[in-house]
Amino acid sequence: MTLDIETLVDLYRDMWLIRAFEFGLEREFKKGNVPGMLHTGVGQEATQAALAAHLQASDAFFPDHRCHGINALAQEKHQGDGERIMAELFGRATGVCSGKGGSLHSANPKVGNFGDNAVEGSYMATVLGVALAYQMRGQPNVACCIIGDGTVGRGEFHESLNMAAIWKLPVLYACVNNGYAISMPVGKGHASADIVDLARGYGFPCEIVDGNDIEAAYDAVQRAIAHIRAGNGPYFLEFKTWRWQGLFSGEFRSPEEVKYWKEDRDPLKLAREKILAQGKLSAEDLERIEAEVKAEIEAWIDFAKASPMPDPAKATADVYVGWEVTA
Amino acid sequence: MTQATTRTRTFVQALNEALDIAMARDPNVYMLGEDIGEMGGDFGVTRGLWAKYGDARVRDTPLSEAAIIGASVGSAMLGMRPVAEIMFADFIGECYDQLVNNAAKMHYMFDGQFKAPIVVRTACGGGFGGGPHHSQSVEGWFLNVPGIVLVAPSTPADAKGLLLASIENDNPVIFLEHKALYRIKGEVPEGYYTTPLRKAAVARAGSDVTVVATMKLVHEALAAAAELEKEGVSVEVIDLRTIRPYDAETVLESVRKTGRAVVANEAPKIGGLAAELSATIGEECFHDLKAPVARVAGLDTPIPFSLVLEKYILPGKEEVIAGIRSVMK
Repeated sequence: MTLDIETLVDLYRDMWLIRAFEFGLEREFKKGNVPGMLHTGVGQEATQAALAAHLQASDAFFPDHRCHGINALAQEKHQGDGERIMAELFGRATGVCSGKGGSLHSANPKVGNFGDNAVEGSYMATVLGVALAYQMRGQPNVACCIIGDGTVGRGEFHESLNMAAIWKLPVLYACVNNGYAISMPVGKGHASADIVDLARGYGFPCEIVDGNDIEAAYDAVQRAIAHIRAGNGPYFLEFKTWRWQGLFSGEFRSPEEVKYWKEDRDPLKLAREKILAQGKLSAEDLERIEAEVKAEIEAWIDFAKASPMPDPAKATADVYVGWEVTA
Repeated sequence: MTQATTRTRTFVQALNEALDIAMARDPNVYMLGEDIGEMGGDFGVTRGLWAKYGDARVRDTPLSEAAIIGASVGSAMLGMRPVAEIMFADFIGECYDQLVNNAAKMHYMFDGQFKAPIVVRTACGGGFGGGPHHSQSVEGWFLNVPGIVLVAPSTPADAKGLLLASIENDNPVIFLEHKALYRIKGEVPEGYYTTPLRKAAVARAGSDVTVVATMKLVHEALAAAAELEKEGVSVEVIDLRTIRPYDAETVLESVRKTGRAVVANEAPKIGGLAAELSATIGEECFHDLKAPVARVAGLDTPIPFSLVLEKYILPGKEEVIAGIRSVMK
C-alpha cells in the first residue's frame, strides 16, 4: 500500500523523534547522566510509530523496555509534554512517575500508557484484565501489549493468548521480533523463528509484518485494531525487525548482518525513499524536519537536566493506598 | 445502634455470604478462578453465586494462575474489584511474580497513578494429609513484600467481615483461608458489615502471658489457655487477623501488660511470621519481658503426607502449651 504524503511525513517525523530521543539518551547515559540500565529502540522505530498513530488515549498499551519512543510519542501526542518521559529516565521529580519508575517503569494512564513491567512478559497477563474491563463495560477500546521475541519463552505468553482467545478479549499483541533475546537468536530460543507459528494454535488472526516498512506496519496495525474494535477478539502481529543496540559488552553479530540492517533495511532510510518517490517533498524538506526534531529532543534533555531531583522523603510514599509505611 | 441478628454459620457459609453481598452491592466486583462457577469452588465457597450472577461475573478459568492474577490486576487498574480464587495457596508460586512485581508495586512504581485493589482468596494450611503441595502456610512468602496485604481470619464472623473489608480496600489483599477452619461454626451477623483490617483482636483476655496467633493456631491457643487456666495461668490470646501490615500496637500493649510472649504460627519457624513478631517484641518490649519470647511454629521441613508425619511437624495445642510453659518458668 502507499500512504498519503501527509500521513507518511507525520510518521517519518515520529520515527525521527524516536531515533533522536534514543541517540540523545544514549549520549547522556554514556556521560553518566542517566542512572540504571539503557535499552534503546533504534532500528525498531516503524513499529512504535505505527502503534502510536493508531492507539488512542482511551486505549491502553503496555510498553516493553525498548519503548521509550512510543512512551514519548503518546505523551507528546495526547498531552504535549514528551519531555516528561525524558525527565523520568533521568530520575527527576518532573518525570511521569516522579522518578520512581525510570526507563523500565514509565506510565501515564491519561495517555494510555499502562507502564512497562521489567520482568519481560509479566504484563502479558495484566493486559488480559484491562481488556476484560473494557469488555465487561462494553467499551470499544483496545488493550495492546508490546513484547519482544524473547518474551515468548515465558509461560505468561501462552496463558495470555489462551485466555484472550477463550474470552475473545480485545487484545492486540504486538510482537517485535528483533532477532535476539539479549544474545539468544530467536530460532535457537524458540521452536520456530516465526513467532506466529507458536501463536496460531490459539485460533485468532496472526500476521507477519515487515517491521522496518512503515507503510506495512501502519497498515497492519490499522487492520488489527479495526478487527478488535469491531468486537472480534484478539489479534497477533509479529513485526520482523532488528535492533541496532548490541550487547553492553559490544557488538556480537556479524559485520555483514550489521551492515545489511543498518544500511539496506534502516526503517528511516526506507521511509525517506518512499517520501521522495512521491515527488512532493525534497531532501531539504526532510532535513529541515530532522533538524527540528533533533532540536526538540535537545530541549527535552535540557529540561530533564534542569529538573529537580525527587524529595528523598517521597521514597516511602504510595507503598500502600491510604496507609503510611510504619517500619 | 441496634445489634445485628446473628445466625450460626460455617466459615465457608460466612465467606459465601460476604461474596454474595459484595457482588450485590458493587457491579465492579467479579470473581475468577478455577472451578468457581457452576461447581462452586473446590471447597464450596462460591456455591450458588454463578447461578445468581452469571458467567460474566463468576468466571471459570483454565489452570493459569499467572493469567488469573494478571487479569485481576489489569482490571483493577481500571477500577474493577476482582476477587480471584487460587485453589490452594501452594499454587501461588505460579503467580508469585504477578503478585510481587505487579500487584504489590503497581501503586508505588507508577507514582500513585494506578491502584491494584484485588483480593486473592486461597486455601492454606495443613493437617489433613494434603501432602507437600496442598498444605503449606504461605504468609512467609509475602512478609518481605512491601505493598501486599495479608489477611488471615480465624472465625466465621471475621471471615465475613474481613473479606468484605478486603474487597473494599484499595490495596492488593491475599486472603488466607485455613482449610481446617472451613467447617467450623460460629455466630455470624446478618447482612453487610466490615471488620477492620490491620486490627488484631483480643480473642481471650489474660494477665500472665500473651499468645499471638493466627488462623487455626488461634483455636489451638484458646484450647491451651483453657487447659492452663486450671493450673492458675492466665493466658491472653491475640488473634492477629491482618498479618501484613500487622497491628503491632495491640500486640505490644498486651506484652507490656503480661511481660511474657509466645508467638504461634503454622509456617516453618525460620524467617517466618513468628520470627518477625518475636523480633519486634524483642526490640520494643525488651525491658518489659520476664522471659525470652517463645516461637511456636512448624518444623523446618516440607509438609509430609502421612498424617503421623504431618502431625509431628505442625504445631498444635500441645506445642502452644509447651511454649507457654517455657516462658512461665
